[in-house]
Amino acid sequence: MSMAKFLVRRLLQGIVVIWGVVTIMFGLRAVAPGDPANLMLAEGATQELVEQVRREEGLDEPVYVQYLDYVRELVTGDFGYSWQSNREVEAMVIERIPATIELTIAATIVALVIAIPLGVISATRRNEPADYGATMFSLLGISTPNFWLGLMLILVFGVWFGIPYPTFGLSWVSLASISVPFPSVGFYDFPTGRRPVGFGEAVRTLVRYGSVYDLLVWLKHIALPALTLGTYFTALITRLTRSGMVDELGKPYVTASQAKGLPSVLVRYKHVLRNTMIPVITVLGLQMGTLMGGAVITETVFNWPGLGLRLIDALGTRDWPLMQGIVVFIAIAFVTINIAVDAVYNYLDPRVSEQ
Amino acid sequence: MTEEILRVSDLSTRYFTQEGQVNAVSSLDLEIERGEVFGIVGESGSGKSVTARSVMDLIEPPGEITDGEIRYRNPDLVEAIADDHPNAIDGEFVKLLELPDDVRRSLRGTSFSMIFQDPESSFNPTLTVGEQLAEAVEVQRRASATPRSTRARTESAEYSLGSLLLSNVFPSRRYVSEESRDRAIELLELVGIPDPVERADEYPHEYSGGMLQRAMIAQALAGEPDVLIADEPTTALDVTIQAQILDLLDDLQRETGMTILLITHNLGVIARMCDRVGVMYAGEIVERGTLEDVFDEQIHPYTAGLLGSVPDLEGGATRRDADRRTADRLQPIPGNVPSLLDHEMDDRCQFADRCPKAMTACLEHPPEYPAGGSDAHRARCVLAEREYDEDAALSDGYFDESKRPVGDEHAEPAEPGTEPPEERPQQPAENTGGERQ
Repeated sequence: MSMAKFLVRRLLQGIVVIWGVVTIMFGLRAVAPGDPANLMLAEGATQELVEQVRREEGLDEPVYVQYLDYVRELVTGDFGYSWQSNREVEAMVIERIPATIELTIAATIVALVIAIPLGVISATRRNEPADYGATMFSLLGISTPNFWLGLMLILVFGVWFGIPYPTFGLSWVSLASISVPFPSVGFYDFPTGRRPVGFGEAVRTLVRYGSVYDLLVWLKHIALPALTLGTYFTALITRLTRSGMVDELGKPYVTASQAKGLPSVLVRYKHVLRNTMIPVITVLGLQMGTLMGGAVITETVFNWPGLGLRLIDALGTRDWPLMQGIVVFIAIAFVTINIAVDAVYNYLDPRVSEQ
Repeated sequence: MTEEILRVSDLSTRYFTQEGQVNAVSSLDLEIERGEVFGIVGESGSGKSVTARSVMDLIEPPGEITDGEIRYRNPDLVEAIADDHPNAIDGEFVKLLELPDDVRRSLRGTSFSMIFQDPESSFNPTLTVGEQLAEAVEVQRRASATPRSTRARTESAEYSLGSLLLSNVFPSRRYVSEESRDRAIELLELVGIPDPVERADEYPHEYSGGMLQRAMIAQALAGEPDVLIADEPTTALDVTIQAQILDLLDDLQRETGMTILLITHNLGVIARMCDRVGVMYAGEIVERGTLEDVFDEQIHPYTAGLLGSVPDLEGGATRRDADRRTADRLQPIPGNVPSLLDHEMDDRCQFADRCPKAMTACLEHPPEYPAGGSDAHRARCVLAEREYDEDAALSDGYFDESKRPVGDEHAEPAEPGTEPPEERPQQPAENTGGERQ
C-alpha cells in the first residue's frame, strides 16, 4: 500500500523532471544560432524552398506555439524526423539502445565484481598492504580520464601487442584493421571474419544453434569498452564500500552480534555488508544513469554503436530532433533507474518507507 | 552452596593509541559466585565496560588484554577441551585467555552473553527483531547439539560464506531454522512483549526504547548463558521504563538463577539489584563488598563521594563524614576522571588528586586492605588501616602544581598555569558508553 503510494509519487516527480529536460532542450534549440530550415536543406537552396520548409515544419509560428506543438507531439509519442537522414527519430534512438545498455550493464558488472570484494578486503584488513593497494588503485581509477584510458587500452592491446583484440565496437571499422591491407575486413571480427552482433542476437545464436561463438566474439568486443567505462565506477564503489563497511563495523550492533555468538561470516556479510550496500546501491543507481550519458566518450573512443555515439553525430550535424530524442530518452532512463533504486532501497532499508 | 563461577585475576587491558598506552583496566581481580548479582559501579571512563568486554572477548585493536587470567568454572567444558587444550585447564576451571580464539568465541552467547547500553543502536536496523533473536537461539541450538565436543562447537560456530550465498537460493541452507524462529517468539513473550508473533516481524525502529531493551534481554537469554553481563542496561531509558527493565531482570534472575554481572554508574540500580558491589576507579576496583559494606560502611573516600552525589529523597544524610550543614545538598566529587594514559599516570592512589583526605601515604599505590563489615569487604585505601591524619595531609592544590617526581613533595612548585590543560585522549574506539552519550 505505502509502497504503491511511494512509487506513484516518485513517478509524478519523474514526469516533472522529464518535462524540465524537454523544456530546456527546446529552449536551447530556440536560442541556438542558425535557421533550422537552412540546416535541413542542402547548401544553395532557394529562398522559396527555405520558406516552404519553414512553413511545413511550423518554424514560422511563434516560439510558444512551436513549444506546445513539440510537447504535444512528444506526449503522443511522436519524436519527429531526423533533419539529417529524414528517418524517424524514435527508430534511430531505439536501434541504438541495446548497445548502450549492454555497455552500461557490462561496465557496472565489471565495477561490482571488482569493487565490492576489493572494498570488503580493504575494510576488513584496514591499514594492511591489501588496503593500501586498494586505496592506490581507487585513487588511480578516480583520477584517470575515460578517453585517455580508452586510448591507452587500444594502444596497448591493439597496437603494441599487435593482436586484433577487441579494441573496436560492433560492426565498425576497427583500429586493428588499419594495419590490415583490406579495409573491408574492418567490418568484421578479425581473424574470425564474423560480423560481431549484439548480446541479444548472440544469445539467440546460442539457444538456436548451441554455438557460443557469437557470445565469445561479443565478450571480446565489449571487454575493453566496459573496462574503460567501468574504471571510474569501480574506484568509486571500492572507496564507498570500504568507508561504508568501516563505518558499519564500528556500530554497536556489530559488537552485539558478536556478543551473541553469531559466526563471523554472518556478522560480516549478512549484517554489515548488507547495510553497507544501502548507500552503495543509491550511488550505483545514480551512476548508472550517469554512465549512460557518460558512455558518450567511451562509445566515441571505441566506435561503439550506442546512443552516445549517435548523440555526438547528431551534435556534429546540428540534428536537433535527433538530439532531443536522445536526451529525452536518457532522461527517461535516468528517472526510471532512480525509481528502481528507490524501490530496492526501500526493500533493503525498512526505515526509508516510513518517511 | 555458593561456588565461584568466574574468577578474574590480575586482568590488565590496555589500548595502544597514538597518544600512548591507555591503561583502561589495571590488575583487576574479581570473583563472581554462581547465582549472584555482582555490580560494578563507577564514573564514565573508569574501565567498567572494558572489564565486561574483556570477559566477553570483545576487545578489539588497538585494545589488548595484556595480562592476567580469566577462569570460568564449567566442568563440561573442561572435559570437552581436556584433550586439545590441557594447559587451559585448572581444576574445574577453564582459563579463558589460554583458549584459542575459535573456542573462546564459541562461548559467546552460550556461556556468556551481554546486554548493551543503547538498545536502539545495538540491533541491526535492517533485520527484523525476530530474525535477530532467532539468530541468537540458533547459536545456542547448534552449540547444544553436541555440547561435549569442542570441535563440533567451534565448527557450528563457523558458517561458511558459501553456505550464506547458497542460502539465498535454497531456504534450507539458511542459518536460522524455523524452530529458532518459534523460540524467538516465545522469548519475546517471556520478556513481556505483547503480540509477540506480530512484533517478531517488525523492525527495531518500530519498537520503543523500553521494548527494544526487553528484546535485547530476550536475545541475551536465548543462549541460556551461565553469566549475563548487563552493561548499563537502563542508562538509555527513562526512569519508569528503567524500573520495569530492572523488575524484569530481577524476575528472570530469580527464575533461572543465572549469574549477572551488572555494570552501571547508577547507585540506585546497584542498591536495587546487587548482592555484592565493586566500585571502580581508574581501571581498578577501589572498594568491594556486600551491598551493606559499600553503602553503609564504606572506607574509600571515592565511594563516599559517589554516594554523596546521589540525591537522597528522604532527606536523611547517608554520608557519614559529610558536613552536616551541607548534607542536604548534592556533593559533587571535584575534578575529573584521571587520564588513563600510561605516561601520565603516577604510581600512587589514582584518586589522591581528587580526594578530600589525601595524605602523604597516598603517594604510594595502595594494596587492597581488608575493611570492616563482612569478610568480603576490601578497600584500596590507606584509610582502611589508619585514621585520617591532618598533619600528613597533602596541601590543597598539591596536584595542580606541575609534575614532580613521585614522593618529592618538597620540590619547588612551578608557576601556576604553566601546565598545559590536560585533556583526555579521545580515540573513537575507546570512547566509553557514557562519553558517547
